[in-house]
Amino acid sequence: MADIGYIALFLALVASIYSAVAYILGGKRRIPQLVASARNSLLAVFGLISLSVILLVYALVTHNFQLEYVVSYTSRDMSLPYLLSALWAGNDGSLLFWGWLLSLFAAVVVLQKREFGQELVPYASAVMMITQAFFLLLLLSVSNPFQKIPFPPADGMGLNPMLENPGMILHPPALLAGYVGFTVPFAFAMAALLTRRLGDEWIIAIRRWTLLAWLFLGIGLIIGAWWAYVELGWGGYWAWDPVENAGLMPWLVATAFLHSVMMQRRRGMLKVWNMVLIILTFSLAIFGTFLTRSGILSSVHTFSESALGPFFLTFIGLSFFSALALLYLRWEDLKSEAELESFISRESTFLLNNLLLVGATFAVFLGTVFPVISEAVRGTEISVGPPFFNQVNGPIFLALILLAGVCALIGWRRASTRNLIRHFLWPLITALILGIALFVLGVRQWLALISFSICGFVLFTILYEWLRGTRARRRMRGENYFKAFWGLIITNRPRYGGYIVHIGVLLVAIGIIGSSLYDVEKEVTLQPGETMAIKDYTLTYEDLDFYETQSKVVVTATISAYNHGEPIGKLMPEKYFHRSYEQPVTEVAIRSTLCEDLYVILVGWDEDATATFKVLVNPLVIWIWIGGGVFVLGGLIAFWPERRASPILRQTKQGRG
Amino acid sequence: MLRKKRFLIGGMVIILAISYLGFVGFQSSVTYYYTVSELLAKGSSVYDQNVRLKGVVAPGSVEQESVGKVLKFTIVDGEESLPVIYQGVVPDTFKAGGEVVVEGQLDATGVFQAHKLMPKCPSRYVPQQQQ
Repeated sequence: MADIGYIALFLALVASIYSAVAYILGGKRRIPQLVASARNSLLAVFGLISLSVILLVYALVTHNFQLEYVVSYTSRDMSLPYLLSALWAGNDGSLLFWGWLLSLFAAVVVLQKREFGQELVPYASAVMMITQAFFLLLLLSVSNPFQKIPFPPADGMGLNPMLENPGMILHPPALLAGYVGFTVPFAFAMAALLTRRLGDEWIIAIRRWTLLAWLFLGIGLIIGAWWAYVELGWGGYWAWDPVENAGLMPWLVATAFLHSVMMQRRRGMLKVWNMVLIILTFSLAIFGTFLTRSGILSSVHTFSESALGPFFLTFIGLSFFSALALLYLRWEDLKSEAELESFISRESTFLLNNLLLVGATFAVFLGTVFPVISEAVRGTEISVGPPFFNQVNGPIFLALILLAGVCALIGWRRASTRNLIRHFLWPLITALILGIALFVLGVRQWLALISFSICGFVLFTILYEWLRGTRARRRMRGENYFKAFWGLIITNRPRYGGYIVHIGVLLVAIGIIGSSLYDVEKEVTLQPGETMAIKDYTLTYEDLDFYETQSKVVVTATISAYNHGEPIGKLMPEKYFHRSYEQPVTEVAIRSTLCEDLYVILVGWDEDATATFKVLVNPLVIWIWIGGGVFVLGGLIAFWPERRASPILRQTKQGRG
Repeated sequence: MLRKKRFLIGGMVIILAISYLGFVGFQSSVTYYYTVSELLAKGSSVYDQNVRLKGVVAPGSVEQESVGKVLKFTIVDGEESLPVIYQGVVPDTFKAGGEVVVEGQLDATGVFQAHKLMPKCPSRYVPQQQQ
């Protein structure tokens, strides 16, 4: 069985190389038969990799301990969902999953019906198949998931108990789908450069692909943060760890790209810049895949040591520099069709947004790779901690949020001052009232006051914009408010989906601001019956319990919690000691409300049941997860196909945005 | 042309602002990363300076009166070793014989006072695992 999986991967490698070559020759010499055969072998690649994924999953589910991978990541007592998730628990399996996703996306690209941009498909497919061949090469050489071991053991080593969380089932696939998805827009961009078809075609062809990849990556990041928060027991959700940064960087650049393509679509501007952004996004996505596995950076995330490093660096270097070289060769064809007319215009807010997003990415990149650079240059490793990232990115993100508000109300080309005043007056007044209200309610930190007022301002601009649109529609069509609002969203999904995404990001920002400026933390050692107080909460430690299940010993502390003296229930932080696994697992107790989370960690205990707890009150954290949900909703609305069969090319279309 | 220049200047101002933020943030959070022997070779120049130290927890050296109290252990790399004192939550992944990164200061008595303890568990790909 395992041999079949390996052979399938080998055949897939041959087929992907043939496909890439045939696509390029067929496209260049215009031989339809060759292009058709390239397409068939692309589909064969998908079939072959699917076969080996099925075989690996089968081996995982049936406990085929002849395979090293199955031994390393599963055991007989694991439930089916976690057995399946073992496909991406390890290095080799997750690379196979990566390759499979790419072949799936490539198959969808060639099977998709499209009215224009068809000429780009052969070249784009060739680029995807080259990338595919690279990953297959890794799977066949240094990272073979079908590696056998000479003496199969009776049971496997099992999954790290820390990974037994729904996050394990959702977080890695979402993140990987995001990374892989950026290959498609990159491939179309390269195809546009190669064929000199540098108009709107490629931009239209990839809009939804970019959105999808960006959405997946965003979902992956949010779920990762949630997982860290509920499982790891240190009270936070983001630590600026290199591996987290690796996911954030392509997401930030892709965000910039999603905004700047609008400039190209509407005004024919920033063509070179868009190319640069998509090249960067792709390179950073590959870099992220690499960083998660290389172990070159001291991350607290743990890596398996592997020989992947040189392969990845070569591939990133080759693709990055050849893409830039190609871009340089086509420089003349990418002249901007329009000029910026005014500072006060939507164009300039987009420019600023791009500059800030790329600036933030650059700062994160520098901070992430700084230990490696300093080691190489000065011989000492220097790391920069979370304060660096927070200090740089805090103001940048705040400015970005402010821009999201300004941008919604400002017109393209040139906005008149009178219009500006008319549109901004109410949101500004409301934001000011919000700021004053917060001050009266006792918020005194100026940073919190400013940030919350900015968030309020942006929220009001979006709501105000919706109100104006709904009103206009109601007047024109005589619909009621609800119907008019619904119609507004449905007829212009990209735009209103975008606004909803902005609201989601705002809510996330509110959660982050609240929890990082107002978190309270206490560590106490209590005897049974003793009480501690934190903020408005009183916690009484009742007792300590031990019980055994089939696979583990569980230690549970019972705490009665009171808020302003009112009982709010029992909290039970726990610690698990798995039989098959050395390290204990902390299960935190969290009580979430819309206002704040009460977060209790059982740190340790004595024989006489004296126990030590770490207790945190994290305000507004729940809004990060709610905002994540809103973000996904908005993204899906923007992603959903428009009723109109195809978007119209810019030359013939009138203002819409 | 004049307009273009103005945009260019605007862009430069923003880039400078970001660099300034980066510089200030950098200065306040820069931490040197040493192995045990590197740190000892620095001598008294690193006393009371915030640094990260990596090494292995010497087997049999871990001492903790009771859970939640002060944790004492010896960190080693090759031949050199250093006593470490840490007060705080001990992560689940901490164990004798394992690789560890500690952050804190070396005091004049030659004891490393750690305020952060970050164990690593090698040979295992774990997507989410911090502090």
